Amino acid sequence: MSGFDIKRPIVELPDQDPEQQIPDEELVWTDAEKKKIEIWKDQYPEPEAAIMKVLWLAQEKYDYLPPEVIRFCADTLDMDHARAYGVATFYTQYYKEEEGTFVLDVCTCFTCQFTGGYDILHHLEEKLGIHAGETTDDGMFTLQSVECLGCCGSAPMMQITNGVYCHNLTTEKVDAIIDGLENGEVPEFTSVTLPQDEDEMGGNRRSDVAKTETYQTQPRAEHTE
Amino acid sequence: MEATNGTPQSKAGDWRSYDRVLLPPIEDLHQLEVYREHGGYGQLRDVLDDPDIAPGDVTTAVKESGLRGRGGAGFSTGMKWSFMPEPDDRPRYLACNADESEPGTFKDRQLMEYNPHLMFEGILLAGYAMSIDVCYVYVRGEYADWIVHMEEQLEKLYDAGLVGENILGSDFSMEIVLHKGAGAYICGEETSLLESLEGKRGYPRYKPPFPAQKGLWGCPTTINNVETLACVPLVLEKGPEWFANTGAEQHPGPVLYGISGHVNRPGVYEYPTGMLISDLIEEVCGGMRDGKEFKALVPGGSSTPPLRADQCEGTTMDSESLREAGSMMGTAGMLVLDEDTDMVSYLRRVTHFYQHESCGQCTPCREGTGWLERIVTRIDEGEGQMRDLDLLFDLCDQMEGRTICAFADAAAWPVRYTIQRFREEFEAKVKPSIHPVSADVSSGADATAPATEG
Ligand SMILES: Cc1cc2nc3c(=O)[nH]c(=O)nc-3n(C[C@H](O)[C@H](O)[C@H](O)COP(=O)(O)O)c2cc1C
Ligand code: SF4
Ligand code: FES
Repeated sequence: MSGFDIKRPIVELPDQDPEQQIPDEELVWTDAEKKKIEIWKDQYPEPEAAIMKVLWLAQEKYDYLPPEVIRFCADTLDMDHARAYGVATFYTQYYKEEEGTFVLDVCTCFTCQFTGGYDILHHLEEKLGIHAGETTDDGMFTLQSVECLGCCGSAPMMQITNGVYCHNLTTEKVDAIIDGLENGEVPEFTSVTLPQDEDEMGGNRRSDVAKTETYQTQPRAEHTE
Repeated sequence: MEATNGTPQSKAGDWRSYDRVLLPPIEDLHQLEVYREHGGYGQLRDVLDDPDIAPGDVTTAVKESGLRGRGGAGFSTGMKWSFMPEPDDRPRYLACNADESEPGTFKDRQLMEYNPHLMFEGILLAGYAMSIDVCYVYVRGEYADWIVHMEEQLEKLYDAGLVGENILGSDFSMEIVLHKGAGAYICGEETSLLESLEGKRGYPRYKPPFPAQKGLWGCPTTINNVETLACVPLVLEKGPEWFANTGAEQHPGPVLYGISGHVNRPGVYEYPTGMLISDLIEEVCGGMRDGKEFKALVPGGSSTPPLRADQCEGTTMDSESLREAGSMMGTAGMLVLDEDTDMVSYLRRVTHFYQHESCGQCTPCREGTGWLERIVTRIDEGEGQMRDLDLLFDLCDQMEGRTICAFADAAAWPVRYTIQRFREEFEAKVKPSIHPVSADVSSGADATAPATEG
């Protein structure tokens, strides 16, 4: 099979004995956290099943999950360290390394691909001076290209640090979001109105959200990769 | 149902005057109080109060309604429920699949945002029908904000005695637990979802045993999609006949179409099944953007084979019609593409998705998805050769039906059908051969698949 240049990715083994990032004395749950964990353990017949919730809690608390935090979570549920590592490494939303203060997950999956997702990604790459997958020197922003976020109707779109969704993105809108984030202002939750609601109800149906948007005609993509 | 306004071939009847039932136009319907004011949880109350309604009757009604799963496979819901064994001393589980990660799909999120109680009521009715002890709602981790909103509503449900011990004073008890995923497409596959719920890596399981026999923690378990469960209260409220007579005969009911891409008005729309694709694009979504030509449709998420515009003519959105046209209903997350779309680039992105999301248990899938991506990328970059197209078909043959779960098939289908249906575009990108041959014979005698369809 000459001529086939199938390149194997070089798999870098993680450091087997990394330096501890979070000191032992900080690896404790508050009483409120302990209470939550007890409730979660009761939700499943086997306490181990609560590991995903405990890892989420730990990530909120420590920002990311270095090995000692994963071990701490495992110990909390009396489970093998290896199993907890297995879970933490299987799911992409658990950060195994320290990320920027804000993680910008730009969707480039197929709808977003053809409606400007890569244009938004490249604009951010230029603006922040980093490539997708990297973090700015000041530790403010990590940029990622991600798979479909389940919001294709308001493409192109992105999610900020596993949290809020930003819809119908344009370069101007992205600039404003970045300016805001630099001042610590995270965009608020936005409800996207159903087109049939616009026709039948004159707009959004939720009175408890301040910010709404509509699904918009999607832009033309300059780049599709 | 006779079409009055719609074009004759539409199976959706008088869809222009269709009244929405999954997402009826009621302000703040997502609030428990508002939902109850409008008769919400009335079906549950009736079922629990009426000593003549046995759990099996709910299953029978669902069977008669013809409801088919909205999560992708389109399996009969009533039939699935009847696979649950007779209650024994083991606990019984329901898993509500709210993982919604199939590219192009965004309807479950809208349902969970605007009418979560319809889903919760459906869960409770399904729970009653199958004597379920606990339902886990597995929501993808990205939907963090919506999980918070649903948690608030679920708390209200517990406070109102609608979930938990002795629901509404009856002897039926059931818990509902929200479970937040953490970013893995494969966890939408039902057995992977079960593994993930058990606090493990989301590796799909071999079947058999099927989840109804051995599901969560080895106990009987049923898995249903959000929208499927949300249909259940409607079946009881309006009657199985109403449901069966709405939309396409073989695939009836209301359905949420999530339409994205190059149309003037994308979004989630509720209509009966069996809508003409042309009606959805032209009338519902206001036509193609910038007056461009419609070129291709991905009818139900990235796993469903794309259709050329000519294949969509007269085709309606239901499994039978789509199967005839050469695709599948999937999740009804429709991606509409216009004449400027480069289908090689499209396939490159889709293969990248599958390469990224393969769980890696099965060699044909783990390696195959990587090969697919690398070969399609090579073609897209102008470095491919004609024989690469055959190599891709060969790879698809080696992946389909040879793995633990259907993911590998889902990864192979778009490759096979995009090449078959848009072959000129692929040929235009490969390096010119020294021996020019026509497309019909280039595949050679030992080709594994015909060069073009039919
Ligand atoms: C790779 C793969 C991914 C899937 N992802 C989802 C999903 O995100 N949501 C969903 O409801 N079903 C998904 N399914 C289908 C489920 O396995 C299952 O059939 C469905 O949840 C059953 O519910 P239903 O009968 O109500 O449709 C997926 C299947 C496969 C093979
Ligand atoms: S087919 Fe792919 S995704 Fe499914 S179990 Fe095998 S490796 Fe995992
Ligand atoms: S493709 Fe970007 S949100 Fe679905």
